[in-house]
Amino acid sequence: MTEMTETVVAPAPVEVQKGWGGQSVRRKEDKRLLQGEGVFVDDVKRHGMGYLHFVRSPYAHAHITRIDVSAAEAIEGVYGTLTGEEVAALTEPFFQISSAPGANIKDYSLAVGKVRYVGEPVVAVVAETRELARDASELVEVDYEPLPALVDARRAQDSDAPVLHDDAEGNLMWTGLYSWGDLDAAFAEADRVVKIPELHFHRFNSTPLECDGALVEYNRGVGQWTIHTNNQFPGFAAIMMGPAMQVGLDKLRFVTQDIGGGFGNKITSHPQLVVCCLLARKLNRPVQWTEWRTDFHLSMSHGNERWFHDTEVAVKDDGTLLGFRTKALDDAGAWLRYEPLGGVIWAQVTPGLYRWRHIELDFTQVATNKAPVSPNRGYSRMQHLWFTERVIDIVARELDLDPVEVRKRNYIRAEDMPYETPNGCVYDSGDYAGMLDLALELIDYESIPAKRAAAKDHGKLLGVGIGSTLDSGTNNFGQSRLINPELQFSGNNEVATVKLDIFGEIVVTLGTTPQGQGHETTAAQVVADILQCSVDDVHVRAGHDSYWNSHAGFSGTYASQFAVTGLSAVKGATEMLAAEIKKLAGAVFGGVPAEALELADGGVRIKESPDAFLPFMACGAIVNANNAGLPEDLDVTLNCRYVYRPPFEVPDVERKFGNLTLTYATQIHVAVVEIDPETGAYEIVDYAAVDDCGKRINPQIVEGQVMGATAQAIGAAIHETYEYDEDGNLLTPNFYDYHVPHALDMPPLATGALESPSPFTPLGTKGMGEGGGAGIHAVCAAIQDATGAIVTDSHNPYQRVWLLLQEAHA
Amino acid sequence: MDVTVTVNGTAYERDVEPRKLLIHFLRDDLDLTGSHVGCDTGNCGACSVIFDGVLVKSCMLLAVQANGANVETVEGLAEDDELTPLQQAFNEHHALQCGYCTPGMLMSATALLRENASPSEDEIKKALQGNICRCTGYWNIVEAVESVAK
Amino acid sequence: MLLREVEYAKPGSVAEALELLAANDGARALAGGQTLINVMKARAASPDMLVDLDGLDELRGIELAGDGTLTVGAMTTYSELVGSAEAKARPILGEVCATIADVQVRNRGTIGGNVCSNDPTNHLPPLMVAIGARMTIAGAGGEREVSAEEFFLGVYLTAVGPGELLTRIAIPAGKQDGFAAVTLGADGTCICNAAASVNGAVRVALGCVDAVPVLVTAETPEGVADAVRAASLTPPDDVHASSEYRMHLAAVLATRAAQEAAVR
Repeated sequence: MTEMTETVVAPAPVEVQKGWGGQSVRRKEDKRLLQGEGVFVDDVKRHGMGYLHFVRSPYAHAHITRIDVSAAEAIEGVYGTLTGEEVAALTEPFFQISSAPGANIKDYSLAVGKVRYVGEPVVAVVAETRELARDASELVEVDYEPLPALVDARRAQDSDAPVLHDDAEGNLMWTGLYSWGDLDAAFAEADRVVKIPELHFHRFNSTPLECDGALVEYNRGVGQWTIHTNNQFPGFAAIMMGPAMQVGLDKLRFVTQDIGGGFGNKITSHPQLVVCCLLARKLNRPVQWTEWRTDFHLSMSHGNERWFHDTEVAVKDDGTLLGFRTKALDDAGAWLRYEPLGGVIWAQVTPGLYRWRHIELDFTQVATNKAPVSPNRGYSRMQHLWFTERVIDIVARELDLDPVEVRKRNYIRAEDMPYETPNGCVYDSGDYAGMLDLALELIDYESIPAKRAAAKDHGKLLGVGIGSTLDSGTNNFGQSRLINPELQFSGNNEVATVKLDIFGEIVVTLGTTPQGQGHETTAAQVVADILQCSVDDVHVRAGHDSYWNSHAGFSGTYASQFAVTGLSAVKGATEMLAAEIKKLAGAVFGGVPAEALELADGGVRIKESPDAFLPFMACGAIVNANNAGLPEDLDVTLNCRYVYRPPFEVPDVERKFGNLTLTYATQIHVAVVEIDPETGAYEIVDYAAVDDCGKRINPQIVEGQVMGATAQAIGAAIHETYEYDEDGNLLTPNFYDYHVPHALDMPPLATGALESPSPFTPLGTKGMGEGGGAGIHAVCAAIQDATGAIVTDSHNPYQRVWLLLQEAHA
Repeated sequence: MDVTVTVNGTAYERDVEPRKLLIHFLRDDLDLTGSHVGCDTGNCGACSVIFDGVLVKSCMLLAVQANGANVETVEGLAEDDELTPLQQAFNEHHALQCGYCTPGMLMSATALLRENASPSEDEIKKALQGNICRCTGYWNIVEAVESVAK
Repeated sequence: MLLREVEYAKPGSVAEALELLAANDGARALAGGQTLINVMKARAASPDMLVDLDGLDELRGIELAGDGTLTVGAMTTYSELVGSAEAKARPILGEVCATIADVQVRNRGTIGGNVCSNDPTNHLPPLMVAIGARMTIAGAGGEREVSAEEFFLGVYLTAVGPGELLTRIAIPAGKQDGFAAVTLGADGTCICNAAASVNGAVRVALGCVDAVPVLVTAETPEGVADAVRAASLTPPDDVHASSEYRMHLAAVLATRAAQEAAVR
């Protein structure tokens, strides 16, 4: 039996048929999760497995002068160890995305010769029990020669700065100048130039409740690893691991089922996975790794910390924004794991939501002795959109204009869509002004002056702020060539296979790795609409397994794309299956053409005489077990694999021009804060979130992620930060000091939705889920409104607000 | 040390090291992997269980402290594979996304409802204050619990 | 996350517990475990033996005497204090305990554990000092009573010595108390706190600003801020607050706690 695979460029969008699409169908995933029967990676057990514990660097920057594992290995029950020296002998350094100088760094899965951040894995110990591995790790002797640590990216290029990577001859990893339009003309035309010396977006991440982990088995006979893990982008992991381990990608089987949150933070666990693979082979037993909370905070996926220096904004007196120039300085931490893609990904939303055409951004990324940065919900667009929102509010303040009016004056208009930005990205659809009006209505904006006065009466300062952002989704990986023209990546893809099994079961397998986004449910909705059956009849397999061969190079769940890539693949595969079912029935009915047939009631029938009906079970049985007598040329397998490929061109590397993402969902949030001026402590007392992600297949699932993104943004705005002391020690290494919001911290929330379908996607859907950090922008704006001080930092804990108040009164 | 721990009505006799945390005893020794580990400082509540009728975080108890105790975990909530009204409410109100915090949330909500069958919104939030969720923002969870309050 | 090897003992009486603590240098009392188990997970401290005080009835109970004195057993949990009718004789006790962390922690955490761990950000040490509590410490030689002011000696350090146990806390009658804090989120860790009690003059005990609670007194609530400033504090600097900000908060919170106490 052969699988049918067809790859087709995305067809013109069609209306999702009335039926399951657009309904808030209850999730299929829930039953097992509610019963505690989900399978998360730490739930997976294998007989004889060894538990892995990493010995991690206590220094931010040091030479490793000696490693002695003998005392650890001598303990009964310790199965073995792995050091950087072994890793350097067994593997090649990881492929670097960057061009020079970042390209020259040598990144292995354990520290080799040097440690570059506190918490960096140095040695791995595997033992019979978790506790024993932990105990034995204390017997591993590592001698270090400490070096000065670099913790401020603004000092990274000083002549006397400590250098992390001698191979790069400095801490500069990547730099690029982006420039579009005519800045000289814009600044000449301007009535005023607003100058903002420094803006700072802070370091934090989404701290998914489940940390990273894996259980790796090695099959010696065929040289095959089975990697049970919660890595959310197996396509990327494979591309990184295969060449490093010098094995073909088919030797790396990734299996995921339930994942306890990802938010981008589970993309770069490949170094740890390589360690598990090497040990599984070396020790000839399954190796289990659980990352503890402190390990995660110390070492995994911090979000990009970014400064914007010497910003100049060309404006007219009426608040029209003509353009800006700025210097972006990005702190990548100690290693480039997914970086420097952050250096181009922001350009998906270069002008933010605004019509300015003349933009220059000088992007520099440097290495520091901090945890390596990699995607965090909103990845790189969030930092840039925070910047554009700060510019709007600061310009409004300077010109003494209403921030609502300045936004409306400058927003890209609904009638301008699809809108080509200065660098060639095409915003597909959206009504920003309309969304802002809805958000202001939900927050009862008219009542704010009275509320402000009432707050003042009881000694509090009230402020209101807007955050408008875009969630650009479905990447064109060709943008990587703007970072490094020699890279051979472009476009994107996702795969789905839909089959009709021998007893008529409809089975769907995806290449995606959901971490709570409801893929099983939404995929079933799309299938059920096409096959005209119930969602209960559609079985979507949980998670991802390379053995299903239902994945492609970019498979995974990241970057706000499932509703486009995953569901379009599902649509394509199901349409193929529907066509095959009709072809089969047509033959069985004695030569009836497809147009005369329809799918209904769990089968296929002749439209004009519905009694001629073949149930799906019969179709499945015929093809799988009873196929004698079928026409020789009948090209039907009922096992349809479809690869969705979004319509992209390779961007113009010279001009840095081209469409970098397919869809642009919009988020407009409004926050109301109440500040206690004596202490700087504040609360969010009201909040509205309006979201537009095109056609929503399951509105309840969409709203859930809007809410979750709101909560995370609020957490980041007020409390969440990865802050380091001058020696490179992380001051917030666990949930005790890194405070995330709990139930009592949540404000009242009103949500609203618009649906501006995307003209570029098969279902009219847009990717969503990252939320762009809109809450951070809104809270910053609200604090500025309440205090009268200009907010220049994305992170505003009580102390900072108190300082802003001192500043405002000075 | 020999201990006898009753979990969801079944008595288990095991020999455990005193240092073993109750959460690891449940997950690793008894294969009851419904309760989860989300942190290492007792802040997240993913490990919440009901211990002799009282809601606790099982990461801050030793297995040996559970000798002779009655422990209830998420696996013991549903009867004969039928979801309870509370679990159904979570499903109806989309009170879970990744599901990792959910067992702990269910135990906390169960403990609350046993003590107070008609909690207010604030009382529900207070009762869930020890359970961190990163996916939902809590609003739908509170709504789900409210919906089964009398 | 994973503890070092440890021995575990479950004594049947306070006398037995004291023997175990005296006989084993590396033995520590295990109360609610809401602090100690986390300390052991981090391997910041690893006792050789845990002496589990759970189940010792001598250490439980909340008694209200005729003169209004409350005697609270050291192993009384925060939840028990919140729910206790007797404890309403000094309402601030239940009110403050209700703001500690969350219900899981309150169900196991104890008043004895809170004061004996004496983390500078804890709620109860400054409260005990402000309301003039008296601690009873048992040892091989019998019992002794120590005032709250003399109980707290340093960070994580109290008057309870090796081989000794805090058994109960006596709290005088009174209702004019206040407590104010700025916390890391609702019911979160204290960035700065102050407990006040008015009985003619005003007593305010500041937490989070030094190794032990700092007691200041003033004639009126309005005078408290000056008293705080006169105390020449040098509060710690950490990721949540600078020394200067803590100093500022101390004065503000002390005043608020005193004002709250004065009007009750």
